[in-house]
Amino acid sequence: MSTASAGAPEQGASAAARAERSARIEAMIFVGLLVVLAVGVLISTTTIREPPGSTNTLGARVVPYAVGVLLLVSSLAVLVGQLRGRFGHPEAGEDIDLAHGTAWIPTGILALSFVSLMVTIPFLGWPLGVTILFAGASLALGAKRWWVAVLIGLAMGVVTQLVFGTLLGLSLPPTGTLTSWIGI
Amino acid sequence: MDTWTLLLEGFATALQPIYLLYALLGVLLGTAVGVLPGIGPAMTVALLLPITYSLEPTAAFIVFAGIYYGGMYGGSTTSILLNTPGESASIVTALEGNKMARAGRGAAALATAAIGSFVAGTIATVLLTLLAPTVARFAVSLGPADYFALMVIAFLTVGALLGDSAWRGMVSLAVGLFIGLIGVDTLTGQSRFTFGVPQLGDGIDVVLVAVGLFALGEALYVGSRLRHGTIPIIPITRGWRTWMRRSDWARSWKSWLRGAAIGFPIGSIPAGGADVATFLSYATERSVAKPEYRKQFGKGAIEGVAGPEAANNAAAAGVLVPLLTLGIPTTATAAIMLSAFQTYGIQPGPRLFETQSALVWALIASLFIGNTLLLVLNLPLVGMWVKLLQIPRPYLYAGILVFAGLGAYAANFTVFDIGVLLVLGVLGFFMRRLGFPIAPLVVGAILGPMAEEQLRKAMQIGQGDPSYLVQSPFAIVAYVAMALIIALALWLKRRRARFEASLPPADTVAIATLDEEIESQQPHPELDRGRLSTQALPRQRSTSNHPEGPDVGGDG
Repeated sequence: MSTASAGAPEQGASAAARAERSARIEAMIFVGLLVVLAVGVLISTTTIREPPGSTNTLGARVVPYAVGVLLLVSSLAVLVGQLRGRFGHPEAGEDIDLAHGTAWIPTGILALSFVSLMVTIPFLGWPLGVTILFAGASLALGAKRWWVAVLIGLAMGVVTQLVFGTLLGLSLPPTGTLTSWIGI
Repeated sequence: MDTWTLLLEGFATALQPIYLLYALLGVLLGTAVGVLPGIGPAMTVALLLPITYSLEPTAAFIVFAGIYYGGMYGGSTTSILLNTPGESASIVTALEGNKMARAGRGAAALATAAIGSFVAGTIATVLLTLLAPTVARFAVSLGPADYFALMVIAFLTVGALLGDSAWRGMVSLAVGLFIGLIGVDTLTGQSRFTFGVPQLGDGIDVVLVAVGLFALGEALYVGSRLRHGTIPIIPITRGWRTWMRRSDWARSWKSWLRGAAIGFPIGSIPAGGADVATFLSYATERSVAKPEYRKQFGKGAIEGVAGPEAANNAAAAGVLVPLLTLGIPTTATAAIMLSAFQTYGIQPGPRLFETQSALVWALIASLFIGNTLLLVLNLPLVGMWVKLLQIPRPYLYAGILVFAGLGAYAANFTVFDIGVLLVLGVLGFFMRRLGFPIAPLVVGAILGPMAEEQLRKAMQIGQGDPSYLVQSPFAIVAYVAMALIIALALWLKRRRARFEASLPPADTVAIATLDEEIESQQPHPELDRGRLSTQALPRQRSTSNHPEGPDVGGDG
């Protein structure tokens, strides 16, 4: 697919070329990691212990070997394809703007907000954990007013706690070790 | 007839007020998420898997059935009304429907899509009712080797046919199979790929795979490339008097029937799912159209909405045939529904119609009910769906993350799973960026362990001789059919890609002129187009799939 449209300013064209180059490097690294994973699968399959049993049945190693080979062959095929210039196209969608570059910082904050649940659920409980996740994620994505984000987050936390915890009986912790003094 | 009594009993169950309420909940939820960009039926079912921990199976499957059908309806609304390049599954609807809407005929496009979906969905569900018990009766006689053959077909067709290139699909499939292998092997008790982590001993929960790849991966991906500014929504008329004119009905009904006839068989064989069905239907409609209508294709032909939409829904019902009778999922959504069955300790397959007869027939009856509810609800509520399209994106995707967290945590109530989900989400993020399809991974992770079990059983019966796998006539037929399906479908895909690349961008004025011209040739009473406005639209933006602009990066 041709990238820079005809008549684009010099600067735009070089930026597009740079973006394309970095996308290609990223694709090569990803596929390279897949090849490494495949080799890793094959090597660690040899360490799966095979208890001596009847010869009629397949042991625990056969399918892992097959999967490892499939992964190795297919990722090598993709690698060769990429060396010949056949790269994949990023997925399109209604909310996705492929014309601009990747916003890495918001994406990082999104991932961090999500992982924060690992800490916030045990220490602060589910509703407050959700509040932090929601506020962090929506602000990273460009929500305008922080207090609206916090309020919606808190509302979502309480509502999901009530619906899934109280009504449907999932054991979501209402408070954590730091907030147990709230005493719900 | 036996089938009919059973179906009536199913209706008796599904029509109970509480189940009707669940069906209503399901279709509303399904349509809502279908309308919302970025959320598909697969993600919704994945996000709602936690309800299986507390609802009884019948209620849960009625909700899932509603979501499954509702998602199909909702998707078409988005692609008709939203002025951005859509997803590939609904691309042909976007092609014609979006252009109809831009020429001021959005109401007709929505109506023909909804009624066509209803007609085709009902026909396909009737076919499902007739066909499924027969297939199940036949499938009882299949042995492990035959099942293994069927699963290999599902793997290879899903892997080779979904996505950019066959090899990329196979990579995705292999990663999924690998994820399915993690955990303690049930037969020998040996742990495989657990890296000494005790929490990985039970394997990675299917809920985590589905939620991580679909919900978290998608949210991260959209977050990295969020379209800023308001997304133009195409206005439609308020009154519904001008839904469909007589000529629209005349042009649509045959397309609906053809769409159903194309969609159902393609959905019920593993041939790449609804994508192939919609494209085939579109190509058919274009070639059988009368010459004066044919030149309207690509510029807003109503047949091009009616046929593919019908085919899409019929294919969705077709997918349920192998899922319910053989336990073989052929799409990502079906794979996640299969894992929902397994949460209840129910194994879909030929025995399902005997052991869980009440559940299955209630599920099938609820498909009929859901379809009718959708028709009744959809057109009057279109204003509400349009409102949904206007939810600020930061809140929408933050909300998805909340439900992803809920799904991950509720699977085992350990925060360890949140970490697993993040790893899977990051994997999904990069796969989307670099053009690897997600569905093969999910199918591989869910179906992989089952395939290994069948393979080992078959080898036991065959006393370790691999040739036993290809001895039964059924297995031979299945492998030959697989080769044919893949060859045919790859050819179709190439044709489709070439076809989509050759589409010229059409501008609104030309569409409207052509529309007028066609209308002037046919006698029909009202030429009421005056209240429709196309002025609110930015004209410079085309719906072509390739975003224009000086700095298109990374899609070379």
